[in-house]
Amino acid sequence: MLSVYLNKIFSLNFANLLNAIGLDFEILSSYTFIVVCLGTMILATVAGMVGTITVLKGQSLIGDAIGHSSYPGIIIAFMIGMSLDSVSLMIGAIISGTLAFIIIQFIDKNSKLNLDAVLAVILSAFFGLGMVLKSFIQGHPIYGKVPQGGLSNYIFGQAAFIRTIDVQLILAVAIPSLLILFLFYKEFKIFVFDEVYAKSIGLSSTLMYVLLVLITMSVIATGLKLVGAILISSFLIVPGITALQWSNRFSHVLIIAAIVGSFSAFVGTYISSVYAGMSTGPCIIVVMSGLAFISMFISPKGLLANWLRRRKYLNDLSKSLID
Amino acid sequence: MSENIIVKVEDLTMAYHDKPVLWDNDVNIVENSRTAIIGPNGAGKSTLLKGILGLQKTLSGTVEIMGKSVKQVYKKIAYIPQSNSVNWDFPTTALDVVLMGRYVHLGWIKRPKKKDIEIARNALHKMGMQDYAKRQISQLSGGQKQRVFIARAIAQNAEIYFMDEPLAGVDKNTEKVIIDFLKDSQKQGKTSIVIHHDLNTLADYFDHLVILNKRIIAQGKMSETLTQANLDAADMGGGFTIAAM
Ligand SMILES: Nc1ncnc2c1ncn2[C@@H]1O[C@H](COP(=O)(O)OP(=O)(O)O)[C@@H](O)[C@H]1O
Ligand SMILES: [Mg+2]
Repeated sequence: MLSVYLNKIFSLNFANLLNAIGLDFEILSSYTFIVVCLGTMILATVAGMVGTITVLKGQSLIGDAIGHSSYPGIIIAFMIGMSLDSVSLMIGAIISGTLAFIIIQFIDKNSKLNLDAVLAVILSAFFGLGMVLKSFIQGHPIYGKVPQGGLSNYIFGQAAFIRTIDVQLILAVAIPSLLILFLFYKEFKIFVFDEVYAKSIGLSSTLMYVLLVLITMSVIATGLKLVGAILISSFLIVPGITALQWSNRFSHVLIIAAIVGSFSAFVGTYISSVYAGMSTGPCIIVVMSGLAFISMFISPKGLLANWLRRRKYLNDLSKSLID
Repeated sequence: MSENIIVKVEDLTMAYHDKPVLWDNDVNIVENSRTAIIGPNGAGKSTLLKGILGLQKTLSGTVEIMGKSVKQVYKKIAYIPQSNSVNWDFPTTALDVVLMGRYVHLGWIKRPKKKDIEIARNALHKMGMQDYAKRQISQLSGGQKQRVFIARAIAQNAEIYFMDEPLAGVDKNTEKVIIDFLKDSQKQGKTSIVIHHDLNTLADYFDHLVILNKRIIAQGKMSETLTQANLDAADMGGGFTIAAM
């Protein structure tokens, strides 16, 4: 009796507090919001951390290529299974993403073409194929009979379509990924900083690459429904770039990237839940990029700090010249 | 004093994309020596070191270090790559880089302990870099960076040092610190193999020499190997004459 009463007071006050800062308690406490928000936040945490490593390794565009390239896999998986089942669509995404990655590696090894050019071609080819297939099955006498409204959500992500199974999939990927990053922290560090030395002390760079690609691939595959094929790579790239502006220590950079990612995911998911029809992916990316943009100005390595340093230097210089 | 061979290379051939870089090379490095490797640009000096250390595929040949394969003795080998192979944007401090020298003894997953940090601090101190422990690696000068990498090799506590142009782009002071370190290591029974580019200091800094230009031109004691004929044979004779010898 008493606890119910206390609970009521607490939640009322809490609700008032949230309302006062402009948040809608009704939405925040709804089951759907909590599920979706958990999903995007966990996803963004892992993506931010593993993405920092790819950014530092100079491979951020590979994530972009894999993200786009997983889209046709989703459509083909739908055509084969004739259903919108999350797991089978995810498997489709992984297969076509992996295929794209292998083709990229193969061309890069065996031709003198610039890697950027190869990435651009594969990305457009795969994503284009996905779009063509999607328009092909729309209104098709056989496929058209199955509801396929969910398929376009894989382009930009739509929180409203997220189910508990999707969050479970994210958790199934996130927990082992975080564990790998934590356990092999020291190995990743030396692999990114000085790969040649790392090899000389017996660390297999192939193994490190495989781990990195494996985590990247699973983050992308599970994040597609939430964030979409076009913007999933920003989840990997933007928090890392932001974090690198704020610290000179690898461990701190990883933690900041995780915080930037999950904070943006929270705010973005909230916005897309308040305004019906707003896609989740773009909302989160806008918040994330906003933070990155602000950091470029006000961080210790940002433009403002540089400008102040230069002004101080010029001042000191002119003073010493006058003296 | 009889000379023990600590690194023995036979018939080493290496290529990039089917373009051969090293042909059929036999190299013998004398134990407890300070050996310099010289040769013109693109002679394959860096490639040779990578081949010896098993960092790059070889087409043929065998390498024995202390009578064993590299895989069996890599803990006793400290390699200092050419500085352009390092990712300078990486967020890390000087002390952190030196600490990486301990990784090889820690094994997978395990974190450095207090004792490792102490070893790393001592190594930084030996290179006169103790005041820069917390400095971001990219904010150090070329010479300071090189001292940090030598300190990493010290922290690794190896028997053989392989260095790829450690004196490139460093100040005079650092050059002296590094050479003193090599001489000091020799007194402790260690062996160093160093790619070098300055013929003027060659005979002062090293006691053995390998001259390479895709093939081994000559190798042996400095006094016997550093001859005008050998330099000419390696296309290195132009403008340089061995007068002071
Ligand atoms: N990663 C690489 N890919 C293709 N060619 C390479 C690579 N590294 C070196 N080479 C070529 O191999 C030859 C030897 O290079 P290297 O061992 O770096 O010479 P050095 O260290 O003596 O200057 C050069 O012709 C160089 O262009
Ligand atoms: Mg070289």
